[in-house]
Amino acid sequence: MISITPATVLRRRSDVRYRRIEGEAVVLRQSAAEVLVLNEVGASVLDLADGESSVGEWIDALRDEYEGDSATLARDVLAFASELAEAGLLEPVAGKEEP
Amino acid sequence: MSLSRVVATAWRENLLFSVLLELTYRCNLDCFFCYNDLGLRGEPLSREQYFRLLSDLREMEVMNLTLSGGEPLAHPDFLALGARARELGFVVRIKSNGHALRGELARRVRDEVDPFLIEVSLHGATAAVHDRQTRVPGSFDRLLANLRELRSLSLRVKLNSTLTRWNEGEIEEMFDLADALGLPLQVDPEVTPRDDGDREPLQVAPSREGVLRLFRLQFARGRAAEEGKPEARVARGGDDGTVPVPVHKHCGAGSSGIAIDPFGNVYPCVQWRRPVGNLHEKGIGEIWSRSAGLAEVRDLTVRVKERIGAEGPGSHLLNFCPGSAAAHAGSPLELYPAAVQRREILEQVMVEEEKRALLPVVR
Ligand code: SF4
Repeated sequence: MISITPATVLRRRSDVRYRRIEGEAVVLRQSAAEVLVLNEVGASVLDLADGESSVGEWIDALRDEYEGDSATLARDVLAFASELAEAGLLEPVAGKEEP
Repeated sequence: MSLSRVVATAWRENLLFSVLLELTYRCNLDCFFCYNDLGLRGEPLSREQYFRLLSDLREMEVMNLTLSGGEPLAHPDFLALGARARELGFVVRIKSNGHALRGELARRVRDEVDPFLIEVSLHGATAAVHDRQTRVPGSFDRLLANLRELRSLSLRVKLNSTLTRWNEGEIEEMFDLADALGLPLQVDPEVTPRDDGDREPLQVAPSREGVLRLFRLQFARGRAAEEGKPEARVARGGDDGTVPVPVHKHCGAGSSGIAIDPFGNVYPCVQWRRPVGNLHEKGIGEIWSRSAGLAEVRDLTVRVKERIGAEGPGSHLLNFCPGSAAAHAGSPLELYPAAVQRREILEQVMVEEEKRALLPVVR
């Protein structure tokens, strides 16, 4: 189990290919020949996983886009990031953990 | 949202998702029934035009990019274009005859293009038949060596074959060979006229018995797969296939997919050679949103769905392709003999399978 905190920096794995169709994301993990469809929040998380910004920064960036209370959004994004990491779509960037 | 719903959305909303690029009609083999129009002339797209096309397609959120030919590896910029496609995040497929895919080039394809899949043509189970079709002596032995090398490089490879009068007698052996190589084999039971309308390839169209033999074999392999043996799959060769999705169109030709020839002509599908624009004149975005030809094609796919639906239950067994219909019969709405025969044979095999299911099984 990969533990994800707001300080974690994640990036898309190199075998991940994805495109957005009407907001959602169609994702292919090339190595596993696996196709997934992610909802809009999942798609945004994929967009944000550039290996530079932390999960906490994603939460800030998404706050403007999505309605609802920010505690729920933070929880959802953390859970999503961890699910996507478990599914082999994202990986932590070594040495990039934010203080 | 499931994948079939995504496909349905793309078909309905005309969202371009899959593009096939015929990079060149040059080839290092000389297959008797090759469908390419080798007499077609025009100004080939330049490297810069391809780069622009790829970034336009990226902006349009196109996901699947198939590099085809001719033999795509014979294009002088193949590696540069493949690498750019990778950089832009496309799911890259390569359709190749496999003849040049070895050594340094195979490694560079893996490392620089990182294709999701390489589809390689297999013409027979023996050198006699394979080389007869490719008209290049030694091509069979070289292909087998190359396929083993591709496997050892961990490249994902699929074998494609077209059933012909020449190879129908060894179709079982072709599947055995694919199994021995550890590769899936997809067989198209239909030979089509050339893209210029030349019907010469039909001289090697498979016999009724050949198609029957193939379908029986596929059902038997399907049964074996259910019992845990290797799986066999067969489908038509369209770019995005004919996925059964709940939409009002027969297929995604011109709605979610297109094909582009080496001279920039744009078609709704690799099988449907009805030009709808040219990249020397307009960008792909403009063709996609404004081409009157594409609007007609989209409308035709709706009419094809109605037309084929009227054939009643079992009409899906026709595996009807409007592109093949246009080539065979002159109209995308016209039933053509190969489709009618396919339905008859499939119905026969399904009846046989039903009877088999009623037999007491002794293990
Ligand atoms: S034109 Fe034929 S091959 Fe192309 S998508 Fe339609 S049915 Fe498939």
